[in-house]
Amino acid sequence: MHYLLYAVLFSAFASIVLIVNGHRRLLALTLVSVMVLTLVVIPPQAKAQAQGGIIQAIQAVLKVLNSLILPVVNSIHGTRSANSAFYQTTVWPVPSINQSTSLVLQMIGQYHNLMSGILNVNLRSATLPVPQSMETLIRDHQVNNFGGLTQSFNSTYRTIPAPTDANQADRDMSDFDDALTLDSLKTLKAADGATDLELQAADSIESAAGQAVPGSTPFLTATATSSSIRSQALTQKMLAAELRQEAARIAHQNGLRKRGAMFTTQLRGTIMNLSQHN
Amino acid sequence: MTSVSAALKRSNSWVWSRKLRVLVLVIVLALTAPWPATGQALSPCCVILAAGLSSIANSLKTIASSLNAILGVDQEMLRFEQTVVWPTSAITQAQALVGSQQGIFTRIQALLHIPVNSATQPNPQQLEVTLLSRNTNLIPQTSANYAALYGPIPTATDASPQVRDLVDMTDAAAQDAMKRAIQIDALSDLEIQAASEINQSIQTAAPGSAPIIEAQADAWLVRANAYTQAATADLMRLRAIDLANSSADIKMGATNTSNLRQQLMNLLQHN
Repeated sequence: MHYLLYAVLFSAFASIVLIVNGHRRLLALTLVSVMVLTLVVIPPQAKAQAQGGIIQAIQAVLKVLNSLILPVVNSIHGTRSANSAFYQTTVWPVPSINQSTSLVLQMIGQYHNLMSGILNVNLRSATLPVPQSMETLIRDHQVNNFGGLTQSFNSTYRTIPAPTDANQADRDMSDFDDALTLDSLKTLKAADGATDLELQAADSIESAAGQAVPGSTPFLTATATSSSIRSQALTQKMLAAELRQEAARIAHQNGLRKRGAMFTTQLRGTIMNLSQHN
Repeated sequence: MTSVSAALKRSNSWVWSRKLRVLVLVIVLALTAPWPATGQALSPCCVILAAGLSSIANSLKTIASSLNAILGVDQEMLRFEQTVVWPTSAITQAQALVGSQQGIFTRIQALLHIPVNSATQPNPQQLEVTLLSRNTNLIPQTSANYAALYGPIPTATDASPQVRDLVDMTDAAAQDAMKRAIQIDALSDLEIQAASEINQSIQTAAPGSAPIIEAQADAWLVRANAYTQAATADLMRLRAIDLANSSADIKMGATNTSNLRQQLMNLLQHN
């Protein structure tokens, strides 16, 4: 648009220059033309405005980059570096992790055989053949020889009296005492087997702890806790057996007390009858 | 050809005759004409723009350098977490260990379900079946089975009120303990079942979710401790009653001896 306007004005100026007369007129015309053409070709105000706009825009972008984005990025870098250092030196320092696993391995070495040795000390004390057999059976941790245990128990403690030797109440109480004794002994054989498995579980968890990393430890602690629940359940089974046994013991004593009362009444009646006859 | 040279000669003479005016036109043209190509490269606007872009580029380089540093820290952290904190191989190994624990669970459950019944006579057999049933629905029939085996409380004509009270209290403690034993057996079965389920869920857990399961297991452990305490409490009650019975025997023996002495004295006085 500027070029076209310039061409038109310059052509008009040239045609006037060629026909104008006098040097003064030519000079005046030349000056006016230079001014007009300069004004047409360069719009100075617009250019200044454009330059000012670009400078302001660049300054605004630089301000955003330098005063907003750069400090934030630097801050993120600082925080992440501190976070990384914190995890590596305070939360999960490798030397400390290694020290912990070494401690586990050292304790396994120090205590495992020692404690196994203590637990496996032979406690058997019977001296005669029949009790020896029974003692062996009640301490063998096996659950496949309950028949043998019953036989051995009967050999050691004898069977319940024959119907001709004792009344039915005595036979029943004796049978129940024996039954609960045998129940407890069988439960203890099973519990001993379960205790062996518990120890095996504890050993394997401890051994795994010796090779664990912080991220795998929750699995080990969780399985150890579930093993503790199972262990409590086993303890409860034994407590239940002891409860039955103790209950039968005082029930037996109470039964004797009841029969004592009955016998006393019978004796009193007999004495009264005798005294009446005399 | 001749006409062209003639025209050039005429033009030269025309320009020469107006040489001042032509010179003015050339000067004006040179001063005011717009020069597009070379003029833009040297314009102050472009110089400012270039300087600004250069500043922006420098700032972006600084930011990129910071971002690279962040990336380095992140990569180092990732490497640390993958090799030191949560290495996949160690996690898999721990899960395998949990799997092997499941085998132990199964074996212990089998051990605890082996029948241990031993009574041979009908009455003891009945009470034993109830006591070893692990079935709380059978608790109400414990008292009847117990009475069938150990007999009822002596009648008022057969024993003094003190003896009857003592016998009743002892029977009650024994029956309570037997009922508690059934209860504890049933509870411990459920605990083993729950512990097994917890162990199975650990096998499929992630390192981040395993502590949740552990918390649940801890809660079950607290509960299991409470059940153990309940059983221990009943055991202590039994032993307390037993001790009280021993003491009562001494007290009643003393009373009976005193009564006997009094009766003998009365008898001697009559004679």
